[in-house]
Amino acid sequence: MQALRLVGTYLRIGVQAELQYRSNVLFSVVQSLVAVGTSLAVLALVFSHTDDLGGWSGSELLVVMGVYVLLGGVLRSVVQPSMTQLMDDVQHGTLDFVLTKPADAMLLVSIRRIELWQAVDVLVGAGIVGYALTRLDTRPGALAVAGFAVALALGVVVLWAFWLLLTTAAFWVVRTDSLVELLSGMYQAGRWPVTIYPGWLRIGFTFLVPLAFAITVPAQALTGRLSGWLLLGAAAFTVALVAVTRWVWTLGVRAYSGASA
Amino acid sequence: MNGLPGLYSVVGRTAVQTQFQYRTSNYLFMLGMVAEPVVYLVVWQTVADAQGGAVQGITAGDFAAYYIVWTLVRNMNIVFTPYGWEDRIRRGELSGRLVQPVHPLHFDLAYFAGWKVVVVLLWVPIAAVLALLFRPTFDVSPVEVLVFLVAIWGAYLIRSMLLWVLGMVTFWTTRVSALYELYFTAELLLSGRLLPLALLPAWAATAADWLPFRYTFGYPIEVLAGDLTTAQLWGGLAAQAAWVAIGAGLVAVVWRFGVRRYSAVGN
Amino acid sequence: METAIRVRDLRKTFRVPERDAGLAASVRSLVRRRYREVHAVAGVSVDVAPGEVVGFLGPNGAGKTTTLKMLSGLLVPTSGEVSVLGHEPSRREKAYLGRMTLVMGNRNQLQWDIPALDSFELNRAVYRIPEADFRRTRDELVELLEIGDLVRKPVRTLSLGERMKAEVAAALLHRPQVLFLDEPTIGLDIGAQKRLRGFVAEYNRRHGAAVLLTSHYMADVQALCPRVVVIDHGQVLFDGGLRELTARFSPHQTITVQLATPGADLSGYGTVVPADEGRVAVQVPKAQTSAVAARLLADHAVTDLTIEDPPIEDVIEQAFADRSAVAS
Repeated sequence: MQALRLVGTYLRIGVQAELQYRSNVLFSVVQSLVAVGTSLAVLALVFSHTDDLGGWSGSELLVVMGVYVLLGGVLRSVVQPSMTQLMDDVQHGTLDFVLTKPADAMLLVSIRRIELWQAVDVLVGAGIVGYALTRLDTRPGALAVAGFAVALALGVVVLWAFWLLLTTAAFWVVRTDSLVELLSGMYQAGRWPVTIYPGWLRIGFTFLVPLAFAITVPAQALTGRLSGWLLLGAAAFTVALVAVTRWVWTLGVRAYSGASA
Repeated sequence: MNGLPGLYSVVGRTAVQTQFQYRTSNYLFMLGMVAEPVVYLVVWQTVADAQGGAVQGITAGDFAAYYIVWTLVRNMNIVFTPYGWEDRIRRGELSGRLVQPVHPLHFDLAYFAGWKVVVVLLWVPIAAVLALLFRPTFDVSPVEVLVFLVAIWGAYLIRSMLLWVLGMVTFWTTRVSALYELYFTAELLLSGRLLPLALLPAWAATAADWLPFRYTFGYPIEVLAGDLTTAQLWGGLAAQAAWVAIGAGLVAVVWRFGVRRYSAVGN
Repeated sequence: METAIRVRDLRKTFRVPERDAGLAASVRSLVRRRYREVHAVAGVSVDVAPGEVVGFLGPNGAGKTTTLKMLSGLLVPTSGEVSVLGHEPSRREKAYLGRMTLVMGNRNQLQWDIPALDSFELNRAVYRIPEADFRRTRDELVELLEIGDLVRKPVRTLSLGERMKAEVAAALLHRPQVLFLDEPTIGLDIGAQKRLRGFVAEYNRRHGAAVLLTSHYMADVQALCPRVVVIDHGQVLFDGGLRELTARFSPHQTITVQLATPGADLSGYGTVVPADEGRVAVQVPKAQTSAVAARLLADHAVTDLTIEDPPIEDVIEQAFADRSAVAS
């Protein structure tokens, strides 16, 4: 419960800080609309030259895009700002202030900064998924929707754990701003179902950069492509990834304390 | 050496020296960037396969050539980001530049030009791997190579100046990311960054002709990877020259007003 | 004599948004913002002759940095007249920028990742310093500051004191005739402060440059500045020699005596203030110092007697205290 209260407090302060920048309310909406407009334009452009992309129809790809936008919103509003802060702190030695607080440090570094307006994308993404569902030939049943919800929750955890895992590298490699660049570059690949990529890339986007589990699997749930086994696999992968992240985090903190002493 | 050439050579050398120290960061950065064209390439090759080998006459090999040259052009037109202006002003870096008797644009132009030396060296192996994986088809004449070598610097200059103008908006208001986003979206769609301009609907292609974006991406790429006529080759260079002039004019004007504003309110 | 810096009734007013704390206030400020006018500099007039070193004193927020920024062309004055070396700084003419320098103790201009020597090259190109002059000046500065080994190491590996010395060298390569030093010794240890101070004095002596220095360390001011300008709330409170400053704001001196037979009550001579073991100190109005000292010597068996002005920090503090008493 203490952890929840902590998250609540940070959220409130984050909101308060963000409200200072009045222009950003409008801008974030504009920004989100621009991004979605771009994605739609890209889809339209591709489908003006074909009507099938690696076995996915236009409406099905819209589902993928919706999930991509939604998770992108989570990533940019909570995960990325906090991770950037973490890197800064490691560089400047100010992580001490976090480590000396009587709360789980890994949780604390994950929720410290919130960019509220970026969360507009979560709503927009959900809207796109909803709209895409009305255009699908076969509507997903209750089971499929439940599968989607589970897969999406797993996806959020996977993305958070993965970002934290790589950011923890900041404990050893001091200058990692380019890491952010690398990750957002890679994340873009999730706009398309990983099944269209050639074999070696598909493996990379499944295990090295887990876009498959984060984005493609939830979309598969809604488009009748998800088996129980796949969902189970996604769950197992998520648990394993979190465990690895936790372990690396512990090592990292030890390395950090050693270095700054 | 003294005067501007002297400044460019010193600043350029500084950039090479600094960026070589950060080659790992540079490599991570470049790898992140490679994801973008690879995704486009995979999508269009998939489309080409579905359409029986080519989209509007562009084959899978042509797409590969286009997006591999893309990676070089993209690296060439990396310039000082408009997002950096806020930091630059807040940390007093701009003040430091303002008390020096040289226009700060020269520092950025020279620095990023020097950086290209490092970038191009690091780019060669990446391009080789991409070529092995995606099998591009090239048909290049010596004159095209020559024009390309000029055109990538033209692209660099145009993009530098346009983004400088955009960044200077920070003088009036911080938190301008939505504006930047709009700009980058227009650039993405209308420059040839997302897809060869030939695949755009006719009206959009016409719009692209009248905007500067294509001269920073599509045109230099097509010089090498497309088949432009001789008239198109040279016409493109002329258009680049015109946009460089327009960009320089815009920088001069906006800078004047921006500094006036900056020195009225300080930071 | 012509002046290096001439300032007449200089003013700078900022408009800043105001907001109360709390969520409700944040939401309100989304709709309407309130503004407040801040008179950062409110009528400063001062002249500095070539070769003169002037200390610019005042508490945080007094308007020192704002004034320096106007003098160096970073800020345009709201009103008033500024002329430095015959130039109007806010026009930022190259001829002017090439003859002055601005050093800010808390900001670095050297390239972080390369040796200072390479940053020096950068400045050579920026200021278009002829090669021969550049070498001569560089070697002279490197020698004076004793940074021969340091300039070959990447700047990020230097300590703060070492970096500051390199920073100062870089700022002086073009032999400016006017130096604006804003807290140049901030954060440095005593030894480094002292060396930097000595260097500024030496540079001033050799090249006859006018120096305007702000510092929180009175030792800097005492060592370097025969003349000080004290400002507070954007106005000049005092302009003159350090000695007059003391006379003006501290009408007292302290007489400390060591008595052959300790224990005597000296409260009849003045206000007794704390002193070292075995000594007694009394504070007396300055005009009576010699009379009181004579009486002490006549009345008691005095083995040692000293007369001191109060520490300059106390004088300055006194000056600001007087000022706020008047203001409120």
